[in-house]
Amino acid sequence: MSVVDSPATRRPRDPGGPQQNRVPGHAAPKRRKRDSGRTPWLLALPALLLIAGLLGYPLVRMVILSFQNMRLRELLSGRTPPWVGFDQYTRVLTDSVFWSVVGRTVAFTFVSVLVSVLFGLGIALLMRRVSRGVRLFMIVAMMFVWALPQLVAAQIFRWMTDSDFGVVNYLIDLLPGVSYQNHSWFVNPWQGWSVITTLVVWAGIPFLAITLNAGLTQVPKELLEAATVDGATAWQALRNITLPILKPLIMIVTTLSVIWNFGLFTQAWVLRDGHPEPQFQTLATYSYTQAFGQSRYSLGSAIAVITVILMLGVMIFYIRQMFRIGEVD
Amino acid sequence: MVAPAAGPAPASTAPLRRRRAKTDDGVITVGRSRSGTIAANTAGIVFGVIMLFPVYWVLNTAFKPADEVLALEPGFWPSNPTFDNFVSAFKAPLFLKDMLNGVIVTLLAVAGALVVGFLGALSIARFSFYGRKAIILVVLVVQLIPFLSLLIPLFLMLQSADLTNSLIGVSITYLVLILPYTVWTLRGFISGIPRELDEAAMIDGCTRAQVFWRIILPLTGPGLVATSVYGFIQAWNEFIIINTLNSPDKQNLMAWLLQNQTTRGTAWGPLMAGAIITSIPVVIFFLIIQRNIATGLTAGAVKG
Repeated sequence: MSVVDSPATRRPRDPGGPQQNRVPGHAAPKRRKRDSGRTPWLLALPALLLIAGLLGYPLVRMVILSFQNMRLRELLSGRTPPWVGFDQYTRVLTDSVFWSVVGRTVAFTFVSVLVSVLFGLGIALLMRRVSRGVRLFMIVAMMFVWALPQLVAAQIFRWMTDSDFGVVNYLIDLLPGVSYQNHSWFVNPWQGWSVITTLVVWAGIPFLAITLNAGLTQVPKELLEAATVDGATAWQALRNITLPILKPLIMIVTTLSVIWNFGLFTQAWVLRDGHPEPQFQTLATYSYTQAFGQSRYSLGSAIAVITVILMLGVMIFYIRQMFRIGEVD
Repeated sequence: MVAPAAGPAPASTAPLRRRRAKTDDGVITVGRSRSGTIAANTAGIVFGVIMLFPVYWVLNTAFKPADEVLALEPGFWPSNPTFDNFVSAFKAPLFLKDMLNGVIVTLLAVAGALVVGFLGALSIARFSFYGRKAIILVVLVVQLIPFLSLLIPLFLMLQSADLTNSLIGVSITYLVLILPYTVWTLRGFISGIPRELDEAAMIDGCTRAQVFWRIILPLTGPGLVATSVYGFIQAWNEFIIINTLNSPDKQNLMAWLLQNQTTRGTAWGPLMAGAIITSIPVVIFFLIIQRNIATGLTAGAVKG
């Protein structure tokens, strides 16, 4: 994608794209007159300076730091840390613990995104089928969940799964033949991760379901009704009409979910009391623990750099979509 | 429309069409059985109840006296409802101070982001110039960089500027955290204002600056409110940055909630009460702007 805006790169790309999306009534797309002068740059300058200073510079510094060896001694004395080349990366990449963290983070992201998107889509479809009152109830319920700060949501789950007084244990214990008294959910990593996944899915469904439901209202009902009259099953109508129309929106929400869930921090952090055991580390908590818990700032930076690189593919995909929207209007 | 329209119907639809859209809401009516509707309604209600249960459980706990909180058989209704937990949360060390800190930091960040972001948005939405694409790209890219990964250099940077353990340092950080979203969303609102209005005003003799002040700024009003409320929620909810940069007396309520859990066991009642107090502004604000939020999220792309 051409970043530099020049007449040469402006026209050929995406022929017919902008025209298609023009407001009816503007028959011929007027070519916008180019403003000369410094006004737009002056307007954008404060924002650019702040972004450069507090995002750009730290980003560069993070990369530099990952080639040094910054420990607590250098931090306190203020001396320039020694250069170590690729040592931090070699250390990280040859560490089996790191690879298990990567594997876990990827697996968690895959499962949680798959479950959330499928659930979100299912709930969105259900919202089209229920009566008005029930739909309103569903929306209100989801709004409250959505509004809760992540940290508070995680604290609630921590309380509900408490081994001694948690309501989850109590409820499961009521089932005949099951004893869950004083059951600790985080001894077994599979169970612990299922709690974390439940929390993430529960908190993620409102955004997914409500956005997808909004997308579903745009699917022409005439099409669906015609298909039904012609004898299409609900499944056929979904596969051949609804999903193709909804596809761009599904792509966007899935990408966003991947970006969010890949960076999982709060939920694992809170549910493990700020000291996640090795089997509950994600890339985000691992980098943080290495840097601020062990004072291995450079090692933490190297992990952060690798994390960003791993996410880049998904981010590029997302930015392309958004960039097109920004271009149109 | 390229952007997923989650809000009201596009402005171009006729009033008749809009009224129809309001009553039948795109729900198809052909080929649907009554038993199917009953099953769907049941499923919808079950789903809503399950979603709300954790929310209910925090309220239930917060109003229970201490002995009921730690009952081995959890009661599903506080038999002796009490405000004790809220009182002890307010009396807890640093609670009020951290609340005030949170308000200050959040307001500073939102105000700053709004001013800076509005100017930036204006430049992208209303001017066509060499480098516009580059600015759009920067705004889009930076909001996807996980801020957490920048925490290490940020910490070192603010430390050398003597801005760790200060509210100003955190405010500036939060400002930048919400800035890309602010620019992007305000851009959307500004582009929604017809250019014809600008041109008409200019023909009537307004200068470009006057057009901004008298036309664009007032018309972006609702957008400014929605954006600032969203920024408020983001900044208010943040805790990792402030928890890392500042000592306990310069925290916000989120970090307070986090630190409260480690001091010799957890006092669940007061913690849940504190969680409710912390969430109240967010929940209220969120419910106010919820109409814009789905649109804002998909079009503006924020970090969760």
